[in-house]
This record gives sequence, structure tokens and C-alpha cells, in this order.
Amino acid sequence: MIRFENVSKVYARGARPALDDVSVDVARGEFVFLVGASGSGKSTFLRLVLREERPTGGTVYVAGRDLSRLSSWKVPSLRRSIGVVFQDFRLLPGKTVYENVAFALQVIGKPRHTIRTTVPEVLEMVGLDGKEKRLPHELSGGEQQRVAIARAFVNRPQILLADEPTGNLDPTTSLGIMRLLDRINRTGTTVVMATHDDEIVNEMRKRVVELSTGSVVRDEVDAVYGERESILPQVGQTPVLDAPGRGERAVQRVQVSPEPADLEAERAAEAAAARAAAQEAAHETEQGIVQESVQETGQGQGPVAPEAPAAPPPAPRRSVPEPAGASADEVVQQVLREHERVRAGREA
Amino acid sequence: MRLQFVLTEVLQGLRRNLSMVVSVVLVTFVSLTFVGAAALLQTQVTKLKGDWYDLVEVSVFLCPDGSTAPTCADGEATEDQIAGLKKVIDTELSDVVAATYFESKADAFEAFTELYPDGYQGTQLTEDDMQASFRLKLVDPEQYQVVDDVLEGRAGVEVVEDQREVFEPLFLALGRASLLAAGLAGVMLLAAVLLITTTIRLSAVSRRRETGIMRLVGASNLFVQLPFMLEGAIAALVGALLAVGGLWLAVQYLVTDWLQDSVDWVAYVDVGDVLFVAPLLIGIAVLLAVVSSVVTLNRYTRV
Repeated sequence: MIRFENVSKVYARGARPALDDVSVDVARGEFVFLVGASGSGKSTFLRLVLREERPTGGTVYVAGRDLSRLSSWKVPSLRRSIGVVFQDFRLLPGKTVYENVAFALQVIGKPRHTIRTTVPEVLEMVGLDGKEKRLPHELSGGEQQRVAIARAFVNRPQILLADEPTGNLDPTTSLGIMRLLDRINRTGTTVVMATHDDEIVNEMRKRVVELSTGSVVRDEVDAVYGERESILPQVGQTPVLDAPGRGERAVQRVQVSPEPADLEAERAAEAAAARAAAQEAAHETEQGIVQESVQETGQGQGPVAPEAPAAPPPAPRRSVPEPAGASADEVVQQVLREHERVRAGREA
Repeated sequence: MRLQFVLTEVLQGLRRNLSMVVSVVLVTFVSLTFVGAAALLQTQVTKLKGDWYDLVEVSVFLCPDGSTAPTCADGEATEDQIAGLKKVIDTELSDVVAATYFESKADAFEAFTELYPDGYQGTQLTEDDMQASFRLKLVDPEQYQVVDDVLEGRAGVEVVEDQREVFEPLFLALGRASLLAAGLAGVMLLAAVLLITTTIRLSAVSRRRETGIMRLVGASNLFVQLPFMLEGAIAALVGALLAVGGLWLAVQYLVTDWLQDSVDWVAYVDVGDVLFVAPLLIGIAVLLAVVSSVVTLNRYTRV
């Protein structure tokens, strides 16, 4: 889906390359974390995929297209197959939730009736049902990011790029966002996510590509974030910031309780996913198809048809734990418990 | 859908920088009024030429008695010389001359006494004071030079005169006025281009967030840029329409209603001519807007 062949990118002549001979191959439907310190080349990687930049050397293939040979008037068509989510959400402040999502379809010339059916669908999927008329500043950070994800996903792109999507969010809200991205990934969408959030990476156990000063230093399937100190040396022992005079690293993190609205959104999204899955299951039972089709239904979670065998995921990977058949409230409780457990583990 | 969306964007953009849009409208209005005025002056000159040149002739004055011109050394033009000149006019100048009329001294005296029955400035003149001449009506009055080349310097010809010279000062004045108007129009058009560029840039920068998202979700270049182009084009178009309206009023009230009444023997420009100039003005306005927006947008909203 995305293939980098010996890609280098030098921004200014003579400067240290932002990417240095990087070769990465991301398969269709994969979920890849891109980790590394600031300036390690994560954002450059994503910009190259979007063809906002062109590589200085090497070749980038995206969705079967050789980007170095893609003429500039075909770039819009490339970008229509890629959704992007940012740390700062980038919503239009004057437009409502619905308009923000619809905007993405309007500007690529989708007919109105398509917009009228697709936008509510995707809003339901991200758990913002009933908040269509809100303006971005009336939403919590987590909800805003859900709008941004809805906008990125509304055109059903093959690839979803996320540049630190949880960077502005508290851990619990982040977890909710991650579950959403995971669900999107299960619809067959390739997800590449640049992040600093070790908790999330460790939790998800997906493929991890670690960049350091422009080179790939690690590429592991089913991996963890790794040594925080080595990836982010600046977060290591910092006597001044952490414990003046003692030189001891303070592990205590700020405790935050998530916004009720975020929890509500998460609940709604879960419920939507469960509903969709139930519908799908019922549909399949009707037709006598005993197969959970993760790729097709797009919502392969929640309760499945009783006779459906648990479909093994393509790669041995663990998603964020989700108890099948749990009610939405239980799910949220589960998330919170899970979150506590992770934190306890980290602090131990 | 697309159209409606684009139009909404355009309206929003126009509302957002209303003052800039108004200034674009005014500057294009003034500059195109100058362009139109220059064009109308030129039309006026052409009209006058067409009207008056039909009336003018080339006069070939023949040698009178006692002329000091070198070709008149032999004294008054003889019958032979006159016949010879007539022949030259009929053969060599047959393409240029539409009609030839010979005015003898007697004819000239008759015309003179008709014009000044009491003598000229108190002097009673006789037929011998008159001068015989050929009056040539040219197919194209501009071809005076050809006639002059052929006849000037022949024996018996004192001087070849072009009556057009009478009008030259007027035409010169009108020509200079239209040149001045065109010059001012040029300066104003430059100002208009710069202003349109600035307005579009302002609009593009103030909507950078929108265009950024449009590019990310894969809107085509045209779709991103069209609203800005239309904004500039609409402002310029309104300016052009105002200019056409202004010229219409000026021609209607100043020329048709007032000048025509006081000096009625001249053919003037009329509102029909304004309509003829209108497409030119509108074309210039749209061209200005498109050129300046393409230049600006390539710098500010490139994919």
C-alpha cells in the first residue's frame, strides 16, 4: 500500500537529511506506528506519502502509484484515497460538526444526496450522533478529534495517516481515539500513525517502525514502544524538570479524569459499532453465511453471529481489549479499568 | 451542488473583504471609463473624418500671371498645359481620383462674387485676379500624397493643396486627448491589477485554513482556486458595468442632448457607440481579473 524504496529527503542543501535511505513497506490493511523523537523524520514520512514533499532520492509508491512520476494534476486524486488526522484537529471553526465533515465531500464534488447519507453514517460511527449542530469550540478535545477522524474517513480512503492524533488528549480519551482508529483499521483501511505515546503503542501491539535522525532503526511486528529513554532522550533524567537537585526521574504522571463528553462519545461509538455488527450478524445469519468478514463489514467487533467462529486476524495482533457483547457503559468501565491497570504496571 | 458550493464561497469571500472589493470596483470603474473615453474619442475622430473627408477636395492651382513659383516661369498656364495636366490626371491618377472638375478663372470669379458681393476687404477684384484650378475628388482622401507626387512640379502647376489640412488641428487635438485618456487609463489599469492581486491574496490568506483542508482531502486545483478567481472577476465586472453606465450617461446627456442641440452640423458619437465599446471594456476587466488571480493563486494556493 505504501512502499518507500531507499527514500531520502534533504530540505536544505547541505543540511542533515530529514530521511536518510529509508525503505519501508506497509501492506494493505496494516496498522503501523511510527515512533521516534521530534525531528526523527516522522512528519516528513507522512508528508512524502501525501506528496506534500517530493523525495530527494529514492521512490515512494502509494496505492500502486509511483509518486515521483505522478503529475501534479493527479495529486488531488491521490489525496482522495488518503485521510489525514492531525494533533491540532484542524477543524473549521465557523462550521458545525456536520458541515466540517460534509466540507470534505463538497470540495471533491460529491453530489448532495451522497453527502446527506454518508455524513450521518460516519458521525454515528465515531460516536457523535446528535452533535451535528455543535461548533468545534463547543466540543471537548476528544470529540473534536473524532470530528477530524470522521472528516478524514468520510470518503472511505484506503489509507489513514495520523500525525500524533492523541498528542493533545488525556490518556483515557486517547484510548477512545485509538479504539476508533483500530475499528477503522478493521474495515481494511491501512493506518499509519506517528506518535510519542508509549502507553498506546504498548497497548495496541501493532507493527512499530522506529525512526532516529532520519533512519529506520527498528521495524518490528507486534512490538512495543521500546525504551522511552533511548527514543526520547530529552524525557530521560532531567533533574531540573523532574526533581530538582536529586537527579531522579519522577514517574508520577499527572492524573486526569476524562471529560464526560468524551466518555459519552466513546459509549455512542461503541454502541454504533455494536449495532452495526449485530445488524451484519443478523443479515449473515439470514443468508446462511457463517463467516465473520472483518474486511467487508467494517465493524467486525461486538457481538457476532452465534455460530460464527472467531475469525483469526490476518496477523497475530491484539486489539484494545473489548469484551464481546458488553453494553456501552460496561465498555467504558472496561476502558477505564484497563487504563488504570496499564498505569499501575508502568509505575510499578 | 458544485456550483452552489462555489457560489456560496464566492459570496462569503465578497462579504468578508467588502471594503477591498469596493475599492477594486471603483478602480476598475475609473480606469475603464478612461479606456472607454479614449475609444469613444477615436470613434468620434473616425466619424468626423468619414463625414468631412467626403466634402474635401484636392485643389491643383494653376499658374496665374506673375507667379514667382519656378514652375510658373513661363507665365500664366497655357491651354496646352491645362490639357496636358487633364490628360495626366485621367491616365496616371485614374485609380486615385474619383471626379475631376476644372474651375476656370471665370468660374472662380463667379464663386467669389457670390461669396463676397461687396468685394474682399474693400478691394474690388476682377476676373484676372482669380486663379484657374483643378478640383480633384479622391476615392480615398488619405491618398493626397500620391496626387501631390504626380502633379507637383509640373509646368503650369503653381501649388497642390489638400483641404484636409484645414481639419488637421482639430484632429490633432482630439487625437492627443484620446492619447492622454489612454495614458491615464494605462496607469489606472496598473493600479487595478495591483489592487485585484492584493485583494485576492488577502482573501486567500484569510481562507488559508479552508484551502489547506481542501488540498488535503483532494480538492482539485481548479476547485480550490475558482472561488478566488470568481471573486476578482465579479468585482472587476461590476467596475466594467459601472464604466459602461457612466459612459452611457455622459454620451446621452453631454453629447446627444446638449452638444447635438447646440452644434448640430457635426456627426457625434451616440449610445450605440457606447454599446460597441462595452464588450471591449468588459473583456479587459475579465482579462485583468483572470491574469492577476492566476498569478497570485499560483503563489498562494498551490497544491
